[in-house]
Amino acid sequence: MVKPREITCKDTTWLVSDACERDLSPQEKSDLAGHIEDCELCQGASTQFDVLFRQLRIYLGTSQKSDNNPQDNEK
Amino acid sequence: MPLAKQRDLSTEIASHREFLFRLALLQLREKAAAEDATQDALIAALQSQHKFDGRSSLKTWMVSILRFKIIDVMRVKKRHGTSLSQDQLDRELDLKSFEGLFDETGCWATPKAEWTDPQAHVERVEFMQILEACLTRLPENTSRVFLMREWLEFTSKEVCAEHAISPGNLRVLLYRARMQLRRCLDDNWMGGTDGEA
Repeated sequence: MVKPREITCKDTTWLVSDACERDLSPQEKSDLAGHIEDCELCQGASTQFDVLFRQLRIYLGTSQKSDNNPQDNEK
Repeated sequence: MPLAKQRDLSTEIASHREFLFRLALLQLREKAAAEDATQDALIAALQSQHKFDGRSSLKTWMVSILRFKIIDVMRVKKRHGTSLSQDQLDRELDLKSFEGLFDETGCWATPKAEWTDPQAHVERVEFMQILEACLTRLPENTSRVFLMREWLEFTSKEVCAEHAISPGNLRVLLYRARMQLRRCLDDNWMGGTDGEA
């Protein structure tokens, strides 16, 4: 496990966007996870980005995963 | 001669015209081209409706047809040469408007509400309306570049080549798009909570 470096909330927003474009390096992943774990503000922001990205995929019809669809909840 | 044994989808197909047009316009930012792409997609959908297998929603199926039509339009336009205006590009690359989101230490300036996915039908419809309005408000180059990646699924290299921009500039435009969409939704959607204030 790579030791997380100290980064800012602003840095995490760049990593969140970059992660949509490419695989983050182990160091970057560790930085991001480490910061979010300790930062309540980023935990909130991170749920916002998650919802945004999921709903955008549904809107654009690029969502392949059925776990986004509440109708698919079969046991 | 009967056209098809299965259910006639023509009316339902036609009912999605407005949505397809709005999506085409977001990508192409040119009314005439968006009309053409929409028209082509509708005709293709009507002609091949027997191929619709019902595995996705009809709307999703039509969005994927439109996607191919848009790519066609863009191929043709490329031959006539289109590139982004430098002035406008410079304005969109300027991230000053996001500065107020963070304090001087780079920390979020205000608390961020936790969001959950919209569940009930009304809520999902409302979310999508706001999302669409927010997409429409993105600056022109930002939305075109963003949708080329997210919807048309061009590679970064292709997007850079298509618009003659550097990978660094592309990274900034995509960041702008995601940050602006998050903020726009934060300002306009209740985030699935009851909104205490």
